[in-house]
Amino acid sequence: MTHPLIAIFGYNSMSFELITQLNEKQSELIIVDADAEKIAQAQKKQLPAQQMDYRQDDNLIALGIGSQVETLFCFLENDSENVFLTLSARALDKNLKIISVVNQPESAEKLLAAGATKIIDPFEICSNKAYQLLTKPSITWVIDEAVFGRADLHMAEITIPEHSSLDKSYTSELHLNKQYNLFLIGVVDKELGDKLYFSLGEQDHKLDAGDILVVLGANRDIRKFKQEIGVTQ
Amino acid sequence: MHTRLILYIAYSLKASRHYQRSKDFFYDLLENPHSQLKSYFDVFMIILVASSVSVLLYEVEHQTSKWAVLFENFVVTVFICEYLLRGWIYSNIHSAIINHYENAEYLGTPFRLHKVLGQIIATKLSYIFSPSAIIDLLAILPSYRPLRILRIFLIFRLFKLFRYSQSIQMFTGVLKNKRFELTMLAIFMGFLIFIASTAIYMFENEKMGGQITNLYDAFYWAVVTISTVGYGDLTPVTTGGRLVTTALIISGLGLLAFFTSIIVAAFSEKMHEFQDDRVKANIEKLTDATILCGFGRVGQDIARQLHQNKQSFVIVDINENNVALAKQKGYIALFDDASKNSALEQAGINHGAKAILCTTGDDVTNVYITLTSRYLNPEISIISRANQEENVKKMYQAGANYIVQSYTIAGLLAAEYIGHPVAFEAINGILHGQQDVQMEALNLAQNCFLTGMSIAAANLGQYKVRLIGVVSKNPVHGKHRNRYKLHNQHFYFNPIPGFILHDGDILVLLGRHLSIEHLHDLIATSCLQKNIKKSL
Repeated sequence: MTHPLIAIFGYNSMSFELITQLNEKQSELIIVDADAEKIAQAQKKQLPAQQMDYRQDDNLIALGIGSQVETLFCFLENDSENVFLTLSARALDKNLKIISVVNQPESAEKLLAAGATKIIDPFEICSNKAYQLLTKPSITWVIDEAVFGRADLHMAEITIPEHSSLDKSYTSELHLNKQYNLFLIGVVDKELGDKLYFSLGEQDHKLDAGDILVVLGANRDIRKFKQEIGVTQ
Repeated sequence: MHTRLILYIAYSLKASRHYQRSKDFFYDLLENPHSQLKSYFDVFMIILVASSVSVLLYEVEHQTSKWAVLFENFVVTVFICEYLLRGWIYSNIHSAIINHYENAEYLGTPFRLHKVLGQIIATKLSYIFSPSAIIDLLAILPSYRPLRILRIFLIFRLFKLFRYSQSIQMFTGVLKNKRFELTMLAIFMGFLIFIASTAIYMFENEKMGGQITNLYDAFYWAVVTISTVGYGDLTPVTTGGRLVTTALIISGLGLLAFFTSIIVAAFSEKMHEFQDDRVKANIEKLTDATILCGFGRVGQDIARQLHQNKQSFVIVDINENNVALAKQKGYIALFDDASKNSALEQAGINHGAKAILCTTGDDVTNVYITLTSRYLNPEISIISRANQEENVKKMYQAGANYIVQSYTIAGLLAAEYIGHPVAFEAINGILHGQQDVQMEALNLAQNCFLTGMSIAAANLGQYKVRLIGVVSKNPVHGKHRNRYKLHNQHFYFNPIPGFILHDGDILVLLGRHLSIEHLHDLIATSCLQKNIKKSL
C-alpha cells in the first residue's frame, strides 16, 4: 500500500488555493483536468498534473480511485460534471471522502444524494463572510486566524491516545486555559456519538481514549500539550 | 416718512429670530412635505372635515343642538386660521420690500413703495385665486349667516381633503399631466353635445310630436345619451331623432373609450415615478443602512441574512431581473448603475448608510464602486468581494476596508477539512449560525458595569459564556502576553485573571445565543443607569 493520495479534479483559482494549503501540509496530491491548457499551467508551477477524461471509469480506476486515492475534490466548473464525477467515484469506492463545490444551491442535495461527503458552496461562504465582516469584524479576524492559521493562533483537534494521563479524567478538571494557555472549544465524547459538544460549562464529560478535544491556541502551546498527554506525532 | 417706517419694520422682521422661527414652524405644519408635523396636522384636518360634514348631514333631518353650533364655530375658526396662515407663509412681504429697496439703492433709482406694494398684492392675489385656496374659502363662506344660501358649498369641505391626502394629490397630479388631452376631449365633447342637442331639439320638439320641450331638455338628453347612461325618460320618436341618437351613442362609446385610455395611460406612465418616489422616501427614512451593490448569488444571500436580522439595507443593481426579484421579496431596491455617483447618493451614501458591500461577480466593477464610494464618503466602511487574488491590492488601494476573497476562502476551508474535520464542522456551524452556539463580540460601552473589573472579578462564567479573548486599542494592556496584532488594535488571547477591563474593550465570547443576549442587555442597561445618574 502506497501513500494515501488526494485527487483534485479541476484546476482553477479555488483549487489552486487548496493545493497551496495542502502542499504546506506535505500531502501527496494529483491535479486532474480535461483541459490541456490548464494542465500545462499547473505543470509550469511544478504541480503534479494529469490530463484525463474523467467520464471514463477506466481512467478513474487507473488514477487509483478504489485503491490509492483517499480523498477526492470535485472542483469542476459545472454542477452536472461534479455530480457525474461524484457518482462514478462513489460507485468505485464506498469509503472514499468526496468533497465537492456547488454553484447552484439546488444542486447541493443532488450532490449529497450522489454520494458526496461534504459540499462547499463558495458563494454562500463568501456571503456569510461578508455579512460577518459587516456585523462583527473582530470575530471574523479571530476566526480567520484560528481556521486558516495565518497568525500563530491555530485550531487543532487532539485525539486522546491510549494510556494517556487524560484518560478517565473530566473536562472540568482540565483547566486548559490556566495550565497550557489553550482555549477548549469543544469535545467529541465517543460514548455519546460523533457530535461535538461545545464547552460552555453546562455539561461535564468523562474523557476516554479516542475522544477528541478541539482547542484553540498558539502552535507551541498545542505542541506542548500534545506531548504532555502523550500524543505521538 | 412712511417709506422709512415700512423699511424699518421689514428689516427688523428679517432680523427677528422669533418671527422666522414661528414662520418656519407654520411652514412645517402646513406645507413642508417632509415634516412629521404636517402629517399629524393632515390627519387632524381630515378628522375635522369628516366630522363637520357628518354633523351637517345629521342636521338635515334633526334639530340643531347647542354643541353642534359650538363645534361648527370651532371648525370654522380652525379653517379661517388655516386660510390666513397659508396666505401668510405663501410669500415673504418683508423680503420683497427689502429686495426691492436694495436693488433700487444699487441702481441708484428712487425707491417706489407703490410698485412693491403692487407686486406684493399680486403674489397674495395669486394665492387667493389658487384652486386650493378657493376651495378653502368656499368651505368657510357658507357659515356666514347672510350667505346661508351657499350651504350647498359646504360640500367643498370634502374637497379640502385633497390637501391632506397624498393619494388624492397623486390623482390630481396625473390629471394635470394630461391637461392637453383632457382639454381636447372636453372641447370635442362640448362640440358633440352642442350638435346633438340642437339636432334633437329640431327633430324632437313638441311640434314634431317629440318630448323635448326646450333646449335644456335637449342638453340633458344629449348628456344622458352620450355617457351611455340612457335613462329613457326622454326618448326619440321621430326617425330623424332616432338617427341622431344612434350616431350619438356610437360616438359616446368612442369618447368614453378615449377618456378611459387617457387616464389609464397617464397612470401607467406615472406609476414608475410614484414607485421610485416611494423607494426614495423609504431610503430617506433608513438609518444605519447597508448599501448592497449587486444582487446576484452572493448579494441575495447577504440580503436574506440582513433581512432575517432586521437590519436595514438598500440594493442597487443594474440588472432589471435582479431588481424585480429583490422587489418581489419586499426589499428596497434601486435599478441603477452602482458605479455612478448619483446612484450611490440616492441610495443614501451620505445620509443614513454605514457600510457598502460590493458583491458583483466582476472585480473591475467592484473596484470602481469601491473607488466611487470612498470618494463620496471617506468615513464609510467598504467591504468588497475579490474573485482574483491579484485584485486584492487594487481594492485596498481603491479604499476598501475589508476584502472577501470568495474562491480563496472556499479553497482554504476545503483544505482545512483534510486535517481537522471536527474543528471544521464546529467553525462552520458557528460561522453560519446553524447552531445555537455563537462566537460573538461584545463592546464594553462607556461606564458599563464591567469597566475596571478584572476578569476574575467579572466571573463571566456566571452568565454562562466563556471568554476567548479581548480586542482592545488601549495601550494599558500592552504588557500582557498572548498579544496578536489586528489592524490598529490588539487581540489578547486567553487573558489572565488579573486582566483589567477598560472602556472600549471588546470581549470575544463563546456561548449560547440566549446567554450572550442577556449579557449584552446587562451591559446596555448598566450604561444607561450610570449615565442617568451622572446627568442627575
